[in-house]
Amino acid sequence: MTQQQTEMVTVTINGQQVQAENGRLLIDVAEEMGIFVPRFCYHPGMKSVAVCRMCLVKVEGMPKLVPSCSTPVADGMVVETDTPEPAGAQEDMLEFLLINHPLDCPICDRGGECPLQDQTYAHGPGSSRFVEPKRTYEKALDISQLVVLDRERCVLCWRCVRFSDEVAGDRFIQLVDRGSGTQILTFSDEPFDSYFSGNTIQICPVGALTASTYRFVSRPWDLKAAPSVCSYCSVGCPTTNESRGDKLVRVQALPNENVNDFWICDKGRFGFHYVDAKDRLSTPLVRDGDDFRSATWGEAVAAAAEKLGGGKVGVIAGGHLTTEDAFAIQRLARKTIKTPHLDARIQDDGAAYERTLAYSGVVGSTATINDLDGARSIVWVGPDPKEVLPVLYLRLRKAVLDGGAKLIVVSPRRLSLDAFATHVIRCEPGGEANALSALTTTAPVKDDLAAPLVACWSPANPGRETGADLDSLLKVAVEKDARWLVCAPHAGSQGMLDMGVHPALESGYRPIDEPGMDTRAMLEAAAAGELDALIVVGADPISDFPNRNLAQAAMEKVGFSLVIELFPTETARLADVVLPSTAAPEIEGTLTNLERRLQKLEPLTKSPGTAREPWRAMADLARAMDDDWKWTSFADVWAAITKEVPTHQDLDVAALAQEVPPSALQYESGTEEQPGPRGPVVAGPGGQYPKGHRSGAPFKTASWPLSWELRQFEAKQRPGHIPDAPEAPEEKVGAGADAAAPMSGEGFVVYAGRQIYDEGAMVSRSSVLHALSKGAFVELNDEDAKELDVTDGDEVTLTAGNNEMTATVVIADISKGAVFVPYDQKGLRANELLGAGGRVKVAKA
Amino acid sequence: MIDETYMVLKRAREFPKDSWTLKRALDDGAYDNLKKAVTEISQADLIELVKNAGLRGKGGAGFPTGMKWSFVPKDVFPKYVVINHDEGEPGTFKDREIAERDPHQMIEGIAIAAYAVGANKAFIYCRGEFALGSRRMDRAIKEAYEKGFLGKGIFGSKFDLDIVLHRGAGAYICGEESALLDSLEGFRGQPRLKPPFPAIKGLYGQPTVVNNTETVSTLPHIVANGVDWFKGFGTEKSPGTKVFSVSGHVERPGNYEVAYGTTLDQLLDLAGGMKDGKTLKAIIPGGASAPLLTHADYALDFDSLKEAGTMLGSGAVVYMDETTCMVRNALVTTEFFAHESCGKCTPCREGTSWAVKVLRRVESGEGRQEDMDLLLDIANGMDGRSFCPLGDAASWALRSNVKLFREEFEAHVREGRCTFDGEHKELVGARSGIDTGISQQGDEGLGGEDRLS
Repeated sequence: MTQQQTEMVTVTINGQQVQAENGRLLIDVAEEMGIFVPRFCYHPGMKSVAVCRMCLVKVEGMPKLVPSCSTPVADGMVVETDTPEPAGAQEDMLEFLLINHPLDCPICDRGGECPLQDQTYAHGPGSSRFVEPKRTYEKALDISQLVVLDRERCVLCWRCVRFSDEVAGDRFIQLVDRGSGTQILTFSDEPFDSYFSGNTIQICPVGALTASTYRFVSRPWDLKAAPSVCSYCSVGCPTTNESRGDKLVRVQALPNENVNDFWICDKGRFGFHYVDAKDRLSTPLVRDGDDFRSATWGEAVAAAAEKLGGGKVGVIAGGHLTTEDAFAIQRLARKTIKTPHLDARIQDDGAAYERTLAYSGVVGSTATINDLDGARSIVWVGPDPKEVLPVLYLRLRKAVLDGGAKLIVVSPRRLSLDAFATHVIRCEPGGEANALSALTTTAPVKDDLAAPLVACWSPANPGRETGADLDSLLKVAVEKDARWLVCAPHAGSQGMLDMGVHPALESGYRPIDEPGMDTRAMLEAAAAGELDALIVVGADPISDFPNRNLAQAAMEKVGFSLVIELFPTETARLADVVLPSTAAPEIEGTLTNLERRLQKLEPLTKSPGTAREPWRAMADLARAMDDDWKWTSFADVWAAITKEVPTHQDLDVAALAQEVPPSALQYESGTEEQPGPRGPVVAGPGGQYPKGHRSGAPFKTASWPLSWELRQFEAKQRPGHIPDAPEAPEEKVGAGADAAAPMSGEGFVVYAGRQIYDEGAMVSRSSVLHALSKGAFVELNDEDAKELDVTDGDEVTLTAGNNEMTATVVIADISKGAVFVPYDQKGLRANELLGAGGRVKVAKA
Repeated sequence: MIDETYMVLKRAREFPKDSWTLKRALDDGAYDNLKKAVTEISQADLIELVKNAGLRGKGGAGFPTGMKWSFVPKDVFPKYVVINHDEGEPGTFKDREIAERDPHQMIEGIAIAAYAVGANKAFIYCRGEFALGSRRMDRAIKEAYEKGFLGKGIFGSKFDLDIVLHRGAGAYICGEESALLDSLEGFRGQPRLKPPFPAIKGLYGQPTVVNNTETVSTLPHIVANGVDWFKGFGTEKSPGTKVFSVSGHVERPGNYEVAYGTTLDQLLDLAGGMKDGKTLKAIIPGGASAPLLTHADYALDFDSLKEAGTMLGSGAVVYMDETTCMVRNALVTTEFFAHESCGKCTPCREGTSWAVKVLRRVESGEGRQEDMDLLLDIANGMDGRSFCPLGDAASWALRSNVKLFREEFEAHVREGRCTFDGEHKELVGARSGIDTGISQQGDEGLGGEDRLS
């Protein structure tokens, strides 16, 4: 995906000559020269609208002042931004904006980091000539669980509206009324029900949109900030974590044009309350009969080390741990305990990531997220990215709507991507592999498989072997000379694969001749009483493994179990020794995202009690087992990693440091340079991508209004979760042959998938997000629903083996004979249904 | 006293009883020129013809019509022609009469324009309030389809045309072409960022020509009589005729069609002079947006009025006599703009409503000495800084009132009351009851529904 050659032009701004790419926006070119033109509506992540009129500048030869946010530079342009004429206009705009502004800065969350406040200091009048009563509205409206709207403070810059419209594609927040009565509002019968709503708070240039979790919590100057990375999904959005005292109070997106642009999802933004949840473990626990007793760290480590010395030991790790943890876990298992049984695939049990090895020499992606932007076609097979990889969904949407890529979706059920897909291929659960194999031969899909192509895959279907569809996809990709994004689900999953927490792979993707047991095999062995000890790090197999009963039996029957966790999870409650763990905002560490980009987390808050990073626990265990690694710091771990992991040999971890602006918003006010943290992609045999290869390139800023086509998409997507029937043409490709296998048998095939908000240990401890989880629902094909005599909103009973649960019917576009159930929702434990064979009987309740 | 020069009002004036019927129109030669255009003239020649005739748009800006057409890319399809029949400029009522009295002439003109630019679909964006006009256009469109003047293969040529009549929902800004297009597409009527201009990316993102009703109604006459005939009327740079909507304190308000270059005095004579023999005090020469003039010896063409610091605009001429309170005039005009501001950009949204608040104080005797300068500052803050010409227009009207009649404003402040005896208060105060949303208290309910009641 080559960079386009761009013509350079010479522009003079405030007397300084500069070379700039032709067509770039004046406001950006000026900013790069250190000339900050004040602005409210302009945002580099969205199209220009030029409504606030704050960025007016004088361009020689133009009859009027022009908005620099919508004026492209041209050769020979001579611009003045601070002479009396433009400066006067800027002052006038501020006077206009302030006449109806309540000036309640002392009680406004934004006070101290407010572009309106800052620009008023810089360009505004000292006093007001407005003597009339101000415009008033009802002060604070809760427009969702998360967002509070104060229309009096609003300067009508449209950023929130444009974000919802252009970036997120869910138009829940809109302009209402006209003239001086224009307001930002949600529709009266719908809350601001977006997975990305928090971004509107961050980009609001005043305190009109505030976070329900942060209202009146702190003044910005009392906050301490640290750059970090979201530890939920594998997109790995950089974040700015902020604390007051030692309490984490706010998480915001840290812009990175390679990963998240300017955005994070609401789960990443509001899902941090787990760090100081009441039931957070702060001290080691040692089993004492039916109960636990508190222990010192040393005591607990000694107790565990004693049991791990001999016999058959298994290690299961979770998806939210750091690269360092992963390295330490495999080191303890392979070097100290000398067991080959270790795995980090819990929910995506059976996912065969290592199949990529044969094609590229690396486990995981060969494409970067940015490759999506240059792609002409994208194939997606897997779960709904809006639910599981939310910011990747935004990037896919951008690639299609702005970049013009053609999207081909292969899925047994309707995904949010379908709204802008060129081809939607509906297959039976398990029929993905066949459908994919047929892509290159079936018209009209094959004609749209044009290079550059990015093939995307993520394990969609907990409890099912999904390696075949990955294989199929990779074959297509190789045939079409494509790159691929192979997306392990969680923030730490790729790191686990890189560091060799895998029964068949050593660190650096080195295959092992005699593979150990994977998660399922370990649990089966434990349940059969054949495992002497089990170490579970940052994982809760009882809640997450697609066979709940098996995981429960394993924990009960295993000789000894050590669990390292944040919370007393169901798994931890059955352990013999529990060590308290650390949360992402508390540690120095690294995470590797789905494109194998290594990013650094900096510590901000302190861990409770004697909680320690899992890698320290591993090192302590090793020392107790007479294998002293002599690790005391993050740097020590990395010294070992660069020595022992071939793919990470030349990596300079110090170069990964991200910077945060003193205030997360301040870069907009011209007092700080725009942050541009760019971590390198880990070098692998698959090749190294240039560092920050899009840095300095302009964001696409096509002019308002949105294209007609895009608005059509919007219209289709509103209003909500369960979209209407697909508009994109649907083709049946290759659904036959093998597909028959999973479809035969009694009852419906269970197709399970995670939702953004669920009963997960971290997210469910954020009360605002927990309240948004959708609960127990089941998606049914309309024909199946008719046969069962049920309709939208009816209650049905799902029966699988001895498990029976009720759920609300949602009629959806899903393959006939299959039901979709959300994974891990209140009242609906999909892993119990899956554990009983993957089929359910559905009956009207 | 001069005579009117009828062109677009010819049929309407000659046959006042049935000028809108198909029979009368056909008897009078309607659609002959469409036939001539589609069967005898090539598209390029037609564009050249209109360019050479020097026809200028009659909606307000006076942009040369032929040149506008020539900006439309030849090889992008589909293209659209959109007729701006949203006549909303206060004082203007010419398009209304053209559509009511001669819809067939309008349809013929639309078809000629569509043929010239290669569009097969045309939309008439009709002001919502025009009930009679829209009924007559609707009927005329049906009749034209029945006769084969619209639809497939018009007059045996390869030219197809469909016309869709769409009634607006009552926003002044939808007379601005890009806001009109947004409204027509079903969105909030607000102006679009330009470029791209509609000729390149207009309706549904396709090349679009937006022409005024009067402009297209002139086309059949140019096709019929040619360039030289057309240039025989008016001035060198403003050839042809123009329908002026005359109102205010005159004896016979109404539409008068005269050649460009006619003076404001001559137009006033046609309208019977000032009502009750009163003295002329001020003239709005081109709709509420145009800065005021204080005497009538200006020629009515684009360049003369531009030189005089005002504009021809849409041709709405309002004559005001000595009983008019200019503070009230400024208030009423500014209230209109505040009410019609779409709210998109800061200066227009905040400036117009602020100016209304100040003007209300001055008019009710609560003004301060500094208010006149404040009003001028507000006007300067809007002028040239707004997103679209609405804010500019509001500032011009406001500024010219304050500048030309500052003494009257000061008298209001000095005496603490309106210095006029109220003779015309009913007339000009009719709109002042309209709330601009700025006094909205408490905001009951989410939408502030009572705002306009």
